[in-house]
Amino acid sequence: MRALCVLLLLAVPASAQDFTYRGFGQIQSTVYPQSTPQDHEHGVVEALFRIEPAYRAADWLTIAGSIDARIDTLEQVERAWRFDVTDRGLQRPAFSLRDGRATLRKGTVAAVLGKQFIRWGKTDILNPTDRFAPRDFLEVTDNEFLAVIGARGQYERGSNSIDLVWVPTFTPSRTPLIGGRWAPLDPQTFGTAGFVDLGSVFPDGSQFGARWNVLGPGFEASLSYFDGFNHLPQYTTVALSGPPLVALRRTYEPLRMGGADAAVTLRWFTVKGEIASLFTTSENADDVVMYVVQVERQSGELSLVGGYAGEWVTAQRSTFEFAPDRGLTRAFLGRAGYTIGPTSDVSLEAAVRQNLDGVWLEGQYSRAVGSHWRATLAGTVIAGDEQDFIGQYHRNSHVLATLRYSF
Amino acid sequence: MNKAAFTLTVAVCLAPQILHAQSEPRKIVEEAQRRAESKSQRYQGLLQVLDSKGKVADKRWLFTRLGSHGRSKAVLRFVTPPEVNGVALLIVNHPDRASDQWMWTPALQRERRIALQDRSTRFFGTDFSFEDLEERDVDQYDFRLIGEETIDGATCWRIESTPSQRKISQYTRSEVWIRQDTYAIAQVESYIKAEVVRRLRYSDFAQVQGIWTGRKMEMTDLRRNSRTILTLDRLEYNVPLKDEDFTLQALRNPL
Repeated sequence: MRALCVLLLLAVPASAQDFTYRGFGQIQSTVYPQSTPQDHEHGVVEALFRIEPAYRAADWLTIAGSIDARIDTLEQVERAWRFDVTDRGLQRPAFSLRDGRATLRKGTVAAVLGKQFIRWGKTDILNPTDRFAPRDFLEVTDNEFLAVIGARGQYERGSNSIDLVWVPTFTPSRTPLIGGRWAPLDPQTFGTAGFVDLGSVFPDGSQFGARWNVLGPGFEASLSYFDGFNHLPQYTTVALSGPPLVALRRTYEPLRMGGADAAVTLRWFTVKGEIASLFTTSENADDVVMYVVQVERQSGELSLVGGYAGEWVTAQRSTFEFAPDRGLTRAFLGRAGYTIGPTSDVSLEAAVRQNLDGVWLEGQYSRAVGSHWRATLAGTVIAGDEQDFIGQYHRNSHVLATLRYSF
Repeated sequence: MNKAAFTLTVAVCLAPQILHAQSEPRKIVEEAQRRAESKSQRYQGLLQVLDSKGKVADKRWLFTRLGSHGRSKAVLRFVTPPEVNGVALLIVNHPDRASDQWMWTPALQRERRIALQDRSTRFFGTDFSFEDLEERDVDQYDFRLIGEETIDGATCWRIESTPSQRKISQYTRSEVWIRQDTYAIAQVESYIKAEVVRRLRYSDFAQVQGIWTGRKMEMTDLRRNSRTILTLDRLEYNVPLKDEDFTLQALRNPL
């Protein structure tokens, strides 16, 4: 990774034609009308600057990446002058390499080396087969993907393609801060004395994945396999002799997955499905089968996606986990989007647990102004029961406004 | 054989064919297709979207095509505005059925197949639908000569084209105006049932590497009363392009 950063920096003085960049600066403000037992702050402001340089070193080689600099008012962003590459911290780094990769392509073979985003699966709201896709869940419902450090090889011949991934360094999902408003821990569970965060124990081994994809007239299908670790943590608790009485530690359990996904285009709508069977050798994690079935239809400027996500627990062992993916199962999922005009659109996204214990609804209006500016206003309503994954955040309904300048 | 003699020979040989073409709409379209044929094409497109209130949004893309008509592949990659920079569309045309299309969105790091029923959707806020970006092949349509009309001072054949049964299209039929002097397409009106819904007008004709090309296209969405002007800059034909640059893998990993 260090070598890749050096390559990226060396690329800067190269000829202007081979060097391109883009990026944006944005300011985002979130307002929470309600307090939570952990947090009485009602507003957060975060500023983010991102630059994405790319250098075409040869006909077969491109080096590209993105660098973030950010700050916020809630200290979810570190206050440290360091440049982060691994994305393993509990807080978001103030300065970081978001991704940095070398792409080599020759004939039907491509390889991507470095810190990169790897997205598998075909469904839209939940992807059970996406195992190399950790996320930043500091704000659980407004999450974003994190890149992983590794090597990816792709071979495409006719309508078939094979994707092989090797990730030597583990990147976890970033979980809500203990004591923050999105923490999945009700203080009452552990008494008023609170708890101490003992940090994370990261696995040492490397991760491997393979995916075979086939394209046909009106359909696509894939089979995938993953052998690695769950990027979502199990929490283990340690009893202490004095206050605080409980200590928490995150562990990331071994995980194997066999999965499949398919998309079939019919005359009136497209049907997409994805299924993943997850096994673990851990005594602390569950074996589960997760699946998603959805239909989508585009009619003029209106796009509609609706479906159901389910799970079967084939072996139950977990006592305390943070699992937003499972939190969206046994639920009806939907998304509607409408393009108002060349510069503006609206969307509505929802997840409703089948027992109605958790409801999440997000509406968004976005408008571009000129060639560089975009303003977005979003409102999220969360309701439900304290024991439900979605419902536990019922005090976190919020309004979010973003102003972005792209260049 | 000197150049003049060669030209005369070609003219003599083609004369009966052209005379015959004038009486049969299919022959006219075939001749237009033959004259527009090239091994590949590349241009930089400037898209100007004007809504009913006259507001303009500019977008630029790079377009490359390999092959011609029913057997071509094309990649269209946005360059500006910055927020859509890198968004790309791969179109794989087939002679016997509708094209396959995939859209790559860098921000999502995912490609999405554009389903057949989605082809009527406006392409990225422009007045072109995804289907309008397909290359039409003569074998996918039935033709009928309606008459002759003048467009921008050029006499044109006005030909009705109806999708054949195997072709899935949002349009019930189209009317195509083909210039009699150059066999270049001057205008296309597309109908849904009896209503004209889109009008594509070609202008700024020039002979580029021997191919008469309308370097300005104005697509009007008559139902929304908005229009998009596409201007082709740095247009080149028969540029050396590689088949491997027109795959899903290349769409995901641009060089």
